[in-house]
Amino acid sequence: MGIFDMMSISASALSAERQRAEVTSANLANAETTHTDSGGPFVRKEVVFSTTNTSPFQSVFNRLGSFGDAPSGSVRLTDVIDDPAPPVRKYEPGNPDADKNGYVEYPNINPITEMVDLMSATRSYQLNASAINAAKQMILESIDILKTT
Amino acid sequence: MATTPLLQVLQGFLQVSTDRQQLVTANMANVDTPGYHTKDINFQTAMQQVMDQGELRLQPASMSVDNLPERPDGNNVNIDRESMMMSETQLQYQMGVQLIKEEFHELLSAIKD
Repeated sequence: MGIFDMMSISASALSAERQRAEVTSANLANAETTHTDSGGPFVRKEVVFSTTNTSPFQSVFNRLGSFGDAPSGSVRLTDVIDDPAPPVRKYEPGNPDADKNGYVEYPNINPITEMVDLMSATRSYQLNASAINAAKQMILESIDILKTT
Repeated sequence: MATTPLLQVLQGFLQVSTDRQQLVTANMANVDTPGYHTKDINFQTAMQQVMDQGELRLQPASMSVDNLPERPDGNNVNIDRESMMMSETQLQYQMGVQLIKEEFHELLSAIKD
């Protein structure tokens, strides 16, 4: 159904942006983490967004019955990838994570980049939240037709 | 089938407005998707498609808008444009709903009087 598809498209964007904010927060929180379970410093993560493009056949099929497929135009977080940038090496011989030359590997994370990313995710989240409100208002208006007497 | 020809047209109009609003919503949702291109509806084609009863409607007549400046990641969604389109479509939809209500009102008074 068209009018309810609008809400699920916006909802998919909300969840994608929220996950992006989560990944960015994790990057910020671990900006100084030199020790992880897999060994080595924390690696900066990045999200990959993609759009769902259903074929005409599939969209008709979806319309005939609800099969739980995301409507065309929804956003999906397809992958969370590691940033390939090499870690930053600092000379700290007293640190328990230092190698034999006294260097400690720190994650290559720039707090400014992360803050900008976080703000961008927040803004996009707000944008889609207002889109949901707009869709809701349209649905309420069409319900109003019923009240005509 | 609608009761009066005007209701038929208005029903089509609401359908087209909903389709357009859905595309605007999708554009807004994909504001951070690399390579995404803004989509819009051709009102005339879409209206014709909706009014043509015999035709099976696979998808709304959407087209991609290419004259917008593209960002380095290949995305050309302009938030200001989409916000404006959203308000515009919302008002159009509201107008359609009001006209339908008016039409029903008239029908009702014709039945009553």
